[in-house]
Amino acid sequence: MNVIGFIRDNASLVLAYTGNHIALVLVVLALSLGLWISTGLLISRHERLAGAVIGLGNVIFCIPSISLFGLFMSVPGLGLGRRTATLVLVLYAMMPLVRSVHAGIRSVDGTVVDAGKGMGMTGLQLLLKIQVPMAWPAVFAGIRVTVVLITGIATMATFIGERNLGRLIHQGITRGDAEMIIAGALIVSVIALALDYAMGRMERIIISPGLQVQGGERPRVGA
Amino acid sequence: MNFDTTLFLQALLHRAPGHIAEHLQLVLIPLTLAVLIAMPAGILLTRPAYRRQAERVMSVFNAGQTIPPLAVIALFFPFMGLGYGPAVLALTIYALLPIARNTVAAIASVPEEVKEAARGMGMTPGEIFFRVELPLSIPTIMTGIKTAAVLTVSTAVLAALVGGKGMGAIIFAGIHFFRFELVLAGTLYIGIMAISLERGLALLERKLTPPHLKSARRRGTI
Amino acid sequence: MIQLEQVSKTFRGSRQPAVDRITLRVKQGDICVLVGPSGCGKTTLLRMINRLVEPDDGMITVDGRSIAQMDPPTLRRTIGYVIQQVGLLPHRTIAQNIALVPELLKWPREKTARRVAALLEMMDLDPGEVGHKYPHQLSGGQAQRVGVARALAADPPIMLMDEPFAAVDPIVRVRLQDQLLRLQQTMQKTICFVTHDINEAIKLGDHLVVLKAGRMVQSGTPLDILTQPENDFVLRLLGDDRGVKILDQTRAETLMDPFADAAAQAAANGHRVQAIDPVKIALERMMLMNTDEITVCEGARPVGLLRWNAIKAHVHRISGGAS
Ligand SMILES: Nc1ncnc2c1ncn2[C@@H]1O[C@H](COP(=O)(O)OP(=O)(O)OP(=O)(O)O)[C@@H](O)[C@H]1O
Ligand SMILES: [Mg+2]
Repeated sequence: MNVIGFIRDNASLVLAYTGNHIALVLVVLALSLGLWISTGLLISRHERLAGAVIGLGNVIFCIPSISLFGLFMSVPGLGLGRRTATLVLVLYAMMPLVRSVHAGIRSVDGTVVDAGKGMGMTGLQLLLKIQVPMAWPAVFAGIRVTVVLITGIATMATFIGERNLGRLIHQGITRGDAEMIIAGALIVSVIALALDYAMGRMERIIISPGLQVQGGERPRVGA
Repeated sequence: MNFDTTLFLQALLHRAPGHIAEHLQLVLIPLTLAVLIAMPAGILLTRPAYRRQAERVMSVFNAGQTIPPLAVIALFFPFMGLGYGPAVLALTIYALLPIARNTVAAIASVPEEVKEAARGMGMTPGEIFFRVELPLSIPTIMTGIKTAAVLTVSTAVLAALVGGKGMGAIIFAGIHFFRFELVLAGTLYIGIMAISLERGLALLERKLTPPHLKSARRRGTI
Repeated sequence: MIQLEQVSKTFRGSRQPAVDRITLRVKQGDICVLVGPSGCGKTTLLRMINRLVEPDDGMITVDGRSIAQMDPPTLRRTIGYVIQQVGLLPHRTIAQNIALVPELLKWPREKTARRVAALLEMMDLDPGEVGHKYPHQLSGGQAQRVGVARALAADPPIMLMDEPFAAVDPIVRVRLQDQLLRLQQTMQKTICFVTHDINEAIKLGDHLVVLKAGRMVQSGTPLDILTQPENDFVLRLLGDDRGVKILDQTRAETLMDPFADAAAQAAANGHRVQAIDPVKIALERMMLMNTDEITVCEGARPVGLLRWNAIKAHVHRISGGAS
């Protein structure tokens, strides 16, 4: 079996698929961060919404990704392709992002917020100077998980027509082409591991040393 | 979108039920294997002699989880061929991390002063483990198992790609033929299986949890 | 000046009021100490002054203005608050923690830096050593001192201090108490100080307020309360050594026999105390010198003679001959 050989022989195809894969991940990530972090902040201030929103995120997260793709592809206006893929992946990112923002803000020690209030901080200052910085390790861990998750699930979008690394695996299986399967699986795995590693390193740089001792627990990665 | 009710009912009542047993096998075998591997491993990693290895071992488990599920299944397929084999192996690997991580976290979070008090009463390390550390850790460990279970129910859908059957067969057929009704029928059963498994494990958890921890959890003070 | 008028607060879900119809006035430049057992409402009372807790009833004014009409953040920036649980921001260094309020007030950077260094020194902490550390790297007592420094940062005219010295060891605690008293002579802040410790209360307070279950049991100067405890509760709070505490609060001149004439003055013996020294100090000297009397001076000039019998009689009279 000659996986390297396969990649070399099909370099332009592999490159195009990898590019597509990463492009999809980036688009989804940009949309998800904007949408779900603001949702997370919103429900931290309106606790009554929190249960419902997080519950919804959990339900979506428990549906197999392939089912979500299958269900949304039949919605008129979505169909096969990039639009459905993006929507489903953004929905998948909801649970880890919203939950980590909410948990991060909620975990901020009440006495610290109290001290901030006592010093005369306004609501916005409390949020920006205390709650967000203190929630940041949890939020960043959530982002890290989301990046890895989206990279993985994006492979499944091949079943609704995305031409990305999932396609190598999918076609490899249908053709019984082991080199193709392994090439696809390897490249996706390397990308996921590299992103996880890079973000792990970043964590140490951008998180205040005053918060690092507590060691944020990472939410899990799903299917 | 025109919903074909007859097709949906036919799928829901005739085609899908046949896959339930297959799917449950795809869930229960990997889950059992994962519990048998990850729990002892997690416990071992909290023992003084192995504590130093904990971080390294956990990062291996973590890496296993970082690799996309489709890739894990695909990587085993060329070596093991069609059938249950690659799917069961991949799903087991997938279920390891939540269980191992929660086991380590649960046991590590037993307060030092509680263990100190137990030592002071003359308990041996074994007694401390079985009478103090383990009972106090059950809720968190069970949470890990529940997480793994729900995760496995949905990931097991992928088994169908490599001939492992299960509910994935009907869902992928739906995708393939653009039949939304099949996807919906299959997904409904996935949901039912996930919820029942979760409920069942929650019931087991209540049986295993020491009474005082139950009320504390209800009040949300843990 | 802080004034509370019939202020009450009952927390939702509890039947007893946490603070029950309290009327209180803290004069400009005074230290008012709130004492009482755990749960008697000290913290709640304090937090109503900076509106972290809103009273159900009654009125609070600061310098004659009702605080209910003021914008809470603005009000709070003029009030330093040392919270009981310290509450340092874990993601900021010690120096950044102290710099918080100056930052909110948009002070220039150099001014803030100078202020931070000065405050750390004032609190007996080495700015070079502690300034760049994070809160989790400090001991409980150090963190508490940083909490005090943070509250003092923008030099607010009013300070609310909730058990600020509870976690420091007795030696440092005495030093910080002395420091607070020394600073207070120049700062002249209006301070509300909460403590469990009756000795600390007597030492620091210009005015004591004894609370029990949300009610004010007694208020007055430390000496008033020591000499005329309202009831058994206050008596127990004062402890078994009330007589000695009184002697610590009584000036030597109040119990001395003034010299009638120059002849008596000339005959004064060699052992002396100052007129404003506490009787307790005079007593200590007398015991050390093994004598029954000591000369009381104003500066170098002898003004009277303090006798052991006079001290004994005083304590006996005050404690009603009971204990
Ligand atoms: N946020 C709150 N909600 C409900 N009850 C409260 C709250 N804060 C305080 N209480 C109750 O009000 C009463 C007074 O509390 P407070 O904190 O003022 O006591 P304290 O005198 O400061 O006690 P300590 O010396 O232990 O600090 C207590 O019975 C307490 O349980
Ligand atoms: Mg208190």
